[in-house]
Amino acid sequence: MSEPVMPEAVMPEAVVISLLAELSRLLERLVRTEETAAIDLRSLPITPDDRAALTTALGRGEVRVTVESGGRSELVETGYPGIWWVRHLGAGDRVLTERIEIAPVPEALAAAPADIAAAADRLAAHLAALAERESSNA
Amino acid sequence: MRDRETIGEGLARRGLSRRALLRYSAWLASLMALPPTASRVMAETLADKPRQPVIWLSFQECTGCTESLTRSFSPTLEDLIFDLISLDYHETLMAASGAPAEAAMEASREANKGKYVLVVDGSVATGLEGAYSTNAGKTNLATLAELAADAAAVLGVGTCAAFGGLPMADPNPTGAKSVGDIVKDKPVVNIPGCPPIPEAIAGTIAYFVTFGRLPDLDHLNRPMAFFGDSIHDRCYRRTFYDQGKFAKSFDDEGARKGWCLYELGCKGPVTWNACATLKWNAATSFPIQSGHGCLGCSEPGFWDRGGFYQPLSAAVMGNPALIGGAAVAAGAAFGAASAVQARKKRAAAQAAAKQAEEGRQG
Amino acid sequence: MTLLDFARGPAMNVAIAICVAGIVWRLVALLFLPRARDRSTRRPGAPWRVTAAATSILSHMKVAKGLGPVPRFAVWNAYAYHIGLFVIVFFFTQHILVWEGLVGLSWPGLPTGVITVASVITLAALVAALVRRVSSPILRLLSGFDDYFSWLLTTLPVLTGLLAQSHLFLRYDTMLALHILSVAAMLIWFPFGKLFHGVLVWVTRGRTGAFYGRRGVAI
Repeated sequence: MSEPVMPEAVMPEAVVISLLAELSRLLERLVRTEETAAIDLRSLPITPDDRAALTTALGRGEVRVTVESGGRSELVETGYPGIWWVRHLGAGDRVLTERIEIAPVPEALAAAPADIAAAADRLAAHLAALAERESSNA
Repeated sequence: MRDRETIGEGLARRGLSRRALLRYSAWLASLMALPPTASRVMAETLADKPRQPVIWLSFQECTGCTESLTRSFSPTLEDLIFDLISLDYHETLMAASGAPAEAAMEASREANKGKYVLVVDGSVATGLEGAYSTNAGKTNLATLAELAADAAAVLGVGTCAAFGGLPMADPNPTGAKSVGDIVKDKPVVNIPGCPPIPEAIAGTIAYFVTFGRLPDLDHLNRPMAFFGDSIHDRCYRRTFYDQGKFAKSFDDEGARKGWCLYELGCKGPVTWNACATLKWNAATSFPIQSGHGCLGCSEPGFWDRGGFYQPLSAAVMGNPALIGGAAVAAGAAFGAASAVQARKKRAAAQAAAKQAEEGRQG
Repeated sequence: MTLLDFARGPAMNVAIAICVAGIVWRLVALLFLPRARDRSTRRPGAPWRVTAAATSILSHMKVAKGLGPVPRFAVWNAYAYHIGLFVIVFFFTQHILVWEGLVGLSWPGLPTGVITVASVITLAALVAALVRRVSSPILRLLSGFDDYFSWLLTTLPVLTGLLAQSHLFLRYDTMLALHILSVAAMLIWFPFGKLFHGVLVWVTRGRTGAFYGRRGVAI
């Protein structure tokens, strides 16, 4: 399943259309102002059929990411770059929360500045330790 | 004074990046109906905060509330709550016991005066001045008063702590009371349920850690995010109720078809909790889905509301035959007395008329 | 104890006890009143007392001939809310459960949708009855506290029941408690006001029918 799936031109339910309208508005805003957004799917009163229809309408893009950080999350780019389908899983892989994010990358994907800074320190320390061992071996 | 490790640092020590916090706050925002875009700010706030000190006192309880909270078997998002808090005292979970455990509680209370969250499960015994529920000779009633005085907030976890629960059921031999009945000068949040849904406990604590205040509460001090809807409002069997299709007995034809359990005593319409949406055991099921009516376990006095299997519409009669019999007897007595009086009146009137007749003739 | 616990418990216990005691009291007091023996001669071919009584009860159920349009509407309207009340009280499953708790008997109920329709019709008919009573100058002249109070105590259970079942207005447990309390009020009033016609009408129509039947008059 490596090929992107183009968004289908099938007539979906009214609630799906209104969600697509909202996503369109948010995507245009992202283009204009670089402001990110998110829609929480868990709290929306949509049926499993509507959810499937929304998935079909959005299609699938080029990126599929699995994050393992105290549990698993699945981040999938839809057929519209900038619109991501994000699923955070809990015990037994049950879906804890599901949201659609409108952003260049989803929240949980990019490394946080604090983590990068800590990593820089850690890598420098690791290199220093390697250098010391080399000098003691020589 | 040692500098407190932040939540972010604690997670890094465990090998988890800020992503874990982003995932957690995304879930928390969804649970508590906050705007989804708030998750980024929530994660950043949490990362820089020190772990929230929590002192957990257990009184007249069955430990079901703790069991409910600790149902994870592998590191998952559900038990991330234990990275957000510093559980300084918990009789079941802590490694220490006896005097060292009590010393740990005192140390946390001293170090975190005015900042710790006091969690209580189990009801407070007040009979015999609290002697029914003691710890090393000290009544839990006294302990509650002391620990609540220095707490930032008090959480009554489970129906026992929130409303008195099973120990308070008739005839209440230990004089059990709720935490809210005893603590009057601190904000008290009730997270009832027998046991409560784990997300309700963890979500409320996490909300407090993130925002430094308690979420919106209803008139019984329960977080609206988890106790705002009734089971009935979100029950998947609701259409059967609306049509009047009820199971008449357990495992009968209607029950097998998944019909409404109203006749079997379901208290869903008058019970406020998130069981129908969040469910239990990793969203596996909840009582109604398993074929048993709701007991109403997150409501005050649910043990004494007539029977669990008595339908909500039925009157809670002491003894219908006795009351009916007594009423009939009383009515008959009054009626007979009235009839006797009427006959006496007529007899007197007839006698008077006879006398008048004789008087005229004589 | 919440309002609902009070309504389901002590309130209903007291109301049912008073209702039963009141019905028995009034019936015993009435039926054991001293009566003059009927000294008239029984007409030849006069029906049995029971037959005459039953015939009278049935004949009074017919809509009288010669009524004008408004009084005729009033009679049909009354049938609407009487039959409606009967259907709601005895064929709504949730109410059948109340009877089962009290007398141990139960029977199949009607679909909830049917009961909802019956309730709406009953409520409309009750309101129409009040409008008629208030707008007719004669009825207004004749009506007193008992008439209006009895109407109120009959209408409140129907209204609160509809609101509770539809989950409208107040929280469900409050609405249910109000519904049960309104029924308790009606039960307490039942033996003592005009509502007692529910028990008396069988006695009076039967007695009148028997009285005239003996004299050879079918009424």
